[in-house]
Amino acid sequence: MHHPIVKISNLDKYFGHLHVLKNISVEVPEKQVVCLIGRSGSGKSTLLRCINFLEDPSHGTIEVDGIKVEAEGKGREHQNLIHDVRLKTGMVFQEFNLFPHMTVLENVIEGPVIVKGMDKNQAIALAERNLDSVGMLFKKDEYPLRLSGGQKQRVAIARALTMEPRVMLFDEPTSALDPELIGEVLNVMKKVAQEGMTMIVVTHEMGFAKEVADRVIVMSEGELIEDTSPEELFSNPKDPRTKALIDRYRTAE
Amino acid sequence: MNTSNQKSQAELLFEAQEKKKGIFRRNVVLSWLGLLLFMIVMFSGIEIRSANNTTSFSTWKFDNIIENGIEKRTRVETIQFSLPFGLPNDGISLATILIDGQFISDNLNFVAGGIAQTIQISILSIILAIILALLAALGRLSSNPFIYALSTFYVSLIRGTPLYLQIFFFFLALPQLGIVLKGLTAGVIALGLNYGAYMSETFRAGIASVSKGQREAAIALGMTPSQTMRRIILPQALRFAIPPMGNDFISMTKDSALVSATGFVQELMWRATKVGRAEFRNLEALVMAAIFYWVMTLLLTSLQARIEARLAKGDR
Repeated sequence: MHHPIVKISNLDKYFGHLHVLKNISVEVPEKQVVCLIGRSGSGKSTLLRCINFLEDPSHGTIEVDGIKVEAEGKGREHQNLIHDVRLKTGMVFQEFNLFPHMTVLENVIEGPVIVKGMDKNQAIALAERNLDSVGMLFKKDEYPLRLSGGQKQRVAIARALTMEPRVMLFDEPTSALDPELIGEVLNVMKKVAQEGMTMIVVTHEMGFAKEVADRVIVMSEGELIEDTSPEELFSNPKDPRTKALIDRYRTAE
Repeated sequence: MNTSNQKSQAELLFEAQEKKKGIFRRNVVLSWLGLLLFMIVMFSGIEIRSANNTTSFSTWKFDNIIENGIEKRTRVETIQFSLPFGLPNDGISLATILIDGQFISDNLNFVAGGIAQTIQISILSIILAIILALLAALGRLSSNPFIYALSTFYVSLIRGTPLYLQIFFFFLALPQLGIVLKGLTAGVIALGLNYGAYMSETFRAGIASVSKGQREAAIALGMTPSQTMRRIILPQALRFAIPPMGNDFISMTKDSALVSATGFVQELMWRATKVGRAEFRNLEALVMAAIFYWVMTLLLTSLQARIEARLAKGDR
């Protein structure tokens, strides 16, 4: 077993009185592709967003590539740790969230240049390599407005990759896409996985989970109810709630 | 076959609509020119008079004549031509407003000299206003209660009092506290503070218009809150705020006229009232100033339209 890149221990999250994550502990080793599935409201997105502190967890610890952050931490030291964690994680959003006032290339070099202080030419070289690998180099001088949803998401993936993260977090990356555009994004994600990136993917795409994931975690009502291989999950789901989820997917297919 | 037919029908409909719009626009332009011509005629000094079965067309103008050895400037009529018939309603006369062309040409340069000062006041004030509006808008979004209060207090105080009062406050009230400001300085501070308060609302709306996802994407890249604001939020917010800012600047060029009340800033309005009062030619002086303001506004409006078109075409 590889050394864990992400280690979540005893994580709790409350929204007011609502207990949305219930004492969650999970480890993700290097180069593993994990799919987080579950019905909407199960807490899967919240768990993902706690990893880079887009949501502040209420209790517990998050450890990313050896940087350990306590949920209860305060002050500048705590903020610095969160900042370090964010440098280790790349995030891809459902709504793409490309910066509309910047071209594709500017979007991709923004992080390395502004946050890491990378030399601009070096950042451009790196950005162009990543844009090429997601098949978007030919649009590098376009503004996001002129791209299709699938193209936007591929640029968003290149933007996250150009920060050279240790782990990529995908928050329902294909849910805002027209059905015919989902494939191109999943293919890019598959490629990123094959290149050895550690990935945590919140998704409804069972096909992707089956084909690409090393491991599938099923969530329900803020708990991990199943944590297994995709083969096992699809052939032999243990929890009745997982079974219902799989059955629904089968009938939809 | 059927679809191409439908498409051409839609195109025809579109063309008909475009044509209708074109005719409407042309008629609006013609009506504008008509109204303009009407105004010019109203100030032309022409008189049409019908009496004793003749109809005469005459032009009036001001001239210097000597009466009892004293030179006097007075209205003089020149009959251009007469027609040998009267109008149905005998004794009717149609007179237009006579303005003193000589006075206008004598004072044109002096009044026009105020344009530079008017533009100077407007530019200085708008710069101050933008800075204050930005600070007030950021204050409005602050989670620090004191900074929030400071911002809302400023906006409320300024919006709750007249601009005219504010200009006088800086010019007349502050000297009582030992702070003596030049008319220009007092005017710029008052205009800047006033417009800043109003514009802060525009900026706040602009910042609020940027989606939450933009902030999250920036944070996820590791940007600090100030980098996020500077690189991601503000550029998008400013783009949203540019059209209303253009309107504010145009209003400002006209509100700068209030600074003339201090009596020490030789901008357009001050110069117009000065020469108008001196020779009792307020009508001419104010018409002159009005034309200058109007032309300035027209030029700025077309400039603004061009900037907006460019923004719309670009990368939104």
